Amino acid sequence: MAELTLFTYRKGDSLLHLLDVRCKFILLCLTSICIFKAHFSSVFLFIFVLIFFFINCRINLLKNLSGLAFFLLLLVLMFISRSVALPGDPVFTLFDISVTKQGMTDGALMVSRFFTIMMAGILFSITTRPASLKNAIQWLLKPVPFVPEKRVAVMVSLALTFLPLILRQANQVSDAQKARLGNLNKNPVKKIVRLSIPLLKKTFVSADNLAFAMEARCYDEDRTDPEFHLSGKEGLFFIGGLVLSACLVLY
Amino acid sequence: MNKPNQLRMTVYAALFVALIAIGAFIHIPIGPIPIVLQNMFVLLAGIILGPVWGLACVAIYLFIGICGLPVFSGGHSGIGWILGPTGGYLIAYLPAVVATASISKILGQKFSGNVIAMVAGSVIIYALGVPWLKFAFSMTWTKAFAAGMYPFIIGDCVKVIAAAMIARMLKPVVTLQPQNKTA
Repeated sequence: MAELTLFTYRKGDSLLHLLDVRCKFILLCLTSICIFKAHFSSVFLFIFVLIFFFINCRINLLKNLSGLAFFLLLLVLMFISRSVALPGDPVFTLFDISVTKQGMTDGALMVSRFFTIMMAGILFSITTRPASLKNAIQWLLKPVPFVPEKRVAVMVSLALTFLPLILRQANQVSDAQKARLGNLNKNPVKKIVRLSIPLLKKTFVSADNLAFAMEARCYDEDRTDPEFHLSGKEGLFFIGGLVLSACLVLY
Repeated sequence: MNKPNQLRMTVYAALFVALIAIGAFIHIPIGPIPIVLQNMFVLLAGIILGPVWGLACVAIYLFIGICGLPVFSGGHSGIGWILGPTGGYLIAYLPAVVATASISKILGQKFSGNVIAMVAGSVIIYALGVPWLKFAFSMTWTKAFAAGMYPFIIGDCVKVIAAAMIARMLKPVVTLQPQNKTA
């Protein structure tokens, strides 16, 4: 569960925690799209804004960077491949492969954009309760035709409850296999099948039980809409977000 | 579809959303590259849930990932991960699940038919994932295939066979029983 909880919700009462989830989500999407037009100056502005919010939420980002190792590795690879692939003035040449100045600038820009989006996403996950995220999903899908938003919201919350259950059962099954020396089996197909079949059977049985329980309690899709609590600063954040997006596109 | 079955399909699809998310975390060490079970669960979702619910399930998985729940591999989330270098594989799950479900339905959900359906699904995943990787890294086609496809082919063959066996054993557990319930 440790891997899953790394970037999940943490309790707090910072500005972002209190902000309405719909506002946060719309601003996150807006800035994530706008940043692909951005240059260095506006990306740095965005990073400063994010650092301010990280400090405001009292989260030590440096401590958590180890969880991002894979992502950082991808970014390094991206930077290297960009700086080698783009033609331009060579900075230095190694085994007939020249690293160009244009390539390095372009690579650095790409990497900084992806890094910023990632940071913004992490900030969003840390400050947003999964339940309120579910409510926001329902609210956002309401105007979309042909999508039963209430059923989607139910599915999201069910999936969230299944996650820890499945992880626990997967651990149980693999422990049971080890106790019976199942890990000595070299056949990969058998390995997967022997892990998956008991796991899936168990989880489907609990899913069945859940469906029966919901039916028995007269579950119906026609439910009351969720309530949202505004913190009163949404307007300010919206204006700030729009200004930031404009900066990202223009500079 | 009657009401109890719809509720059960809702619960099953939610279960598969969770399984796909978990699939990114379950590693089975075989050889140098550990096998990740995520795409196996995507293809299984297609075979067991059918095209419509399978598509809904994958769409919800991607959607909650974009919305910021840490369900992508390594506990990542957000629109950045979808637009990032490995995003093509994730987007490809959508057409892959529909193709797998439809082919398996047409071929009558036999063992061999399921294998063919899942191979088609895997091909779709690579057909979208590898070009995406190529343009994100601006590398050559040879390198893109070497980094994004060749190392995983053996693992995928293993997964497809395993998934077909699982589908055969799981089908009786998951079949809907409308005759038992009169709604």
